[in-house]
Amino acid sequence: MPPFSNLRGGFLKKGLKWYRPWHAWVFILPALLGLFVFRLGPIIFAFFMSFTHWDIFSPPDWVGFSNYAEMFSDPTFWTMLKNTFIFSGIYVPSVMVIGLVLAVLVNQKFRGVNTFRAIFFSPVVTSAVAIGLVWGWLLSPKYGLLNNFLQLFNVAGPSWLGDPKWALMSIAFVMTWKMAGYYMILFLAGLQDIPVVLYEASRIDGATPKQTFWHVTLPLLSPTTFFVLIIAIIDSFRNFQIIYTMTRGGPGVSSTTLVYSIYQNAFVFYRMGYASAIAYVLLAIVGGITLANFYLKKRWVKYQS
Amino acid sequence: MKKIGWIVLLMISLLVFTTMAEQITLRYWMWDPSIKAKVQAAVGRFESIHPNIKVELTTIEPRDYWTKLRIMASTNKLPDVFNMSSGYIEEWSANGLLLDIQKYVDTDLKISDYFASLFNMAKYPKGTGDIYALPFAWVTPVLFFNKTAFDKAGLSYPDENWNWFDFLNAAEKLTIVEKGKVKRWGFWLYGRYANVEPWIYRDGGHLLSPDKKRFAPDKNAIETMEFLTKLVTTYKVAPMKKDMTGVRSQDVFPLGMAAMWVDGSWNIENNRSLIGNKFKWGIAPVPVGPHGSKKILYAWPDMIAISAKTAHPEEAWELAKFMSGPGLTMNMYMAGKIPSYKPLADSAAFLEKGKQPSEKGILLQLGKDEMVNSFTKGWSEWRGYGAAEGLGLNGALDAVMNGEMSFQEAMQKVTSYANRVLSRYYK
Repeated sequence: MPPFSNLRGGFLKKGLKWYRPWHAWVFILPALLGLFVFRLGPIIFAFFMSFTHWDIFSPPDWVGFSNYAEMFSDPTFWTMLKNTFIFSGIYVPSVMVIGLVLAVLVNQKFRGVNTFRAIFFSPVVTSAVAIGLVWGWLLSPKYGLLNNFLQLFNVAGPSWLGDPKWALMSIAFVMTWKMAGYYMILFLAGLQDIPVVLYEASRIDGATPKQTFWHVTLPLLSPTTFFVLIIAIIDSFRNFQIIYTMTRGGPGVSSTTLVYSIYQNAFVFYRMGYASAIAYVLLAIVGGITLANFYLKKRWVKYQS
Repeated sequence: MKKIGWIVLLMISLLVFTTMAEQITLRYWMWDPSIKAKVQAAVGRFESIHPNIKVELTTIEPRDYWTKLRIMASTNKLPDVFNMSSGYIEEWSANGLLLDIQKYVDTDLKISDYFASLFNMAKYPKGTGDIYALPFAWVTPVLFFNKTAFDKAGLSYPDENWNWFDFLNAAEKLTIVEKGKVKRWGFWLYGRYANVEPWIYRDGGHLLSPDKKRFAPDKNAIETMEFLTKLVTTYKVAPMKKDMTGVRSQDVFPLGMAAMWVDGSWNIENNRSLIGNKFKWGIAPVPVGPHGSKKILYAWPDMIAISAKTAHPEEAWELAKFMSGPGLTMNMYMAGKIPSYKPLADSAAFLEKGKQPSEKGILLQLGKDEMVNSFTKGWSEWRGYGAAEGLGLNGALDAVMNGEMSFQEAMQKVTSYANRVLSRYYK
């Protein structure tokens, strides 16, 4: 018997006479409107903008593919693209591994476990500006804590944020530090979904904790891991705030990613058309990677039946 | 009796309607919410002098101001009167968004009440055309120096006759090295416009071509930039920028990490709050280069402009005039911003006797010199400014001073980059 069928047959029968299936649409209409007006609208608008020159105050000028042509012929665009991928290449694996390790650690039952969960999660909800400032001090080459600590071992630390070789990596590190707690929570939810009986069974079969982790936990966690991977990749392309507060894309363009360049072009130079073109390239990249992930998913993601 | 009542009623309503018809509303946008109450008070004074005009004041955070104002312009809803910066005035007047106020300035303004040079920077086409905005404040970079450090080193304070040699000599003596480590630097700079341009102009140099449409640093400009980068790479009296990350650039001098610094006069405010009584400090004109004159000053105004589409140009002019001079009070200016209106600038309140620096009067002296600047369309892009500090000339000079690039290579790169940017704006 379907749920509530007795209700329909009973006292609600008369009351629901007016009900038609399309009424549901009325209820989701506000949300849909918001989605179309504030999300889809601008996305479509930006697509057309990417073929124009637009400084906001004069009407957009149709320029065909010239924004794209300028972008692809600009060597700094390729540097920024490379930076974007290097950043993701560092951020995604680190945040996943650290998030998983933290999740396994706080998935145990001991006193004060909730305190640890809260501590690991706190950087996630702290503003990127505050984090950028504090890490800016810690990583300051002459006066910072880190380099003074390294000095004790006679190691001369570099200028973490001022040296083109290190700036991007330092930013990726700080962003990993900030976001690892978020992935910890996602993994924690996944871990708690795994039935205890499976652990009991593997213990009875004589599996070591290590074997249990690799052969029970990881495979059963794979749907969560898949979700985390997608989210982390998308997240890795959204690094504007931390770059803005820590390096402003410098030195040179060594820590400028595509997102940061979009900000510069749109809101510093007011080149809305060019910024939209970069945004669409970024969208194509994120979309492509996500599609590839869904395609590859059947090879490694195992759902509990 | 009844008749008289009707007539009285008619007359009253007529009176009410005529005053209502005369009552007009002006919208005024400005970019500093921190002084909203003071601006509102000034607006109140304006309204009491002009009872037929009502002013709607809107204050917007600087970082949102330009985006919002551009959107208003694109939808033909510009406020009647609004703040305008030196960096954008060319672009705005070129787009026909600002009211040409030349005739009002000619007939209704006593230019001698103002630092006259400022009006040149409100002209379109640049320097030669009509006036499009009224300056209400101006700023210029100065040499900040640590008096306590100068006293200890037995050096005399910098003055308007200082040249590069005097400066370098002092910078070397003020750099303190202990056990192979620099404890305090003589000077601090990076590729920032307010750190570099004042030196260029006081060496008779120019960054732009005479028509101001191409990046073409002349011999004197090159000489200056080379000298400045050598302060870091050769003379070692100033730190590399990369060694100072984590410290805000405006905090290096007030924290006592460097004994001299050239940056905008508005930094007086931050210096006061960070230095307190920790050491004595002062300001001096930027040293003059071997090919320069002390009569040239790198400076720029903040302005008030009127929308070209305002329905009430006369009243808008009255408001702009009031809010750029007679209506203002000294407490609306951040320390180190100088009123463009001389009766205000020459007041005792400006000098702030008893507060550091004791030399604020030199700013008024400097204001008599010929003021120049190098703002163009696309300036923040080719110069490298704010959120785009890594780009353009700023990024190039930093690369030289950080030892990552030779001076020649950096100049070549930035020249081609800057002209690629400028050629988009000046076809």
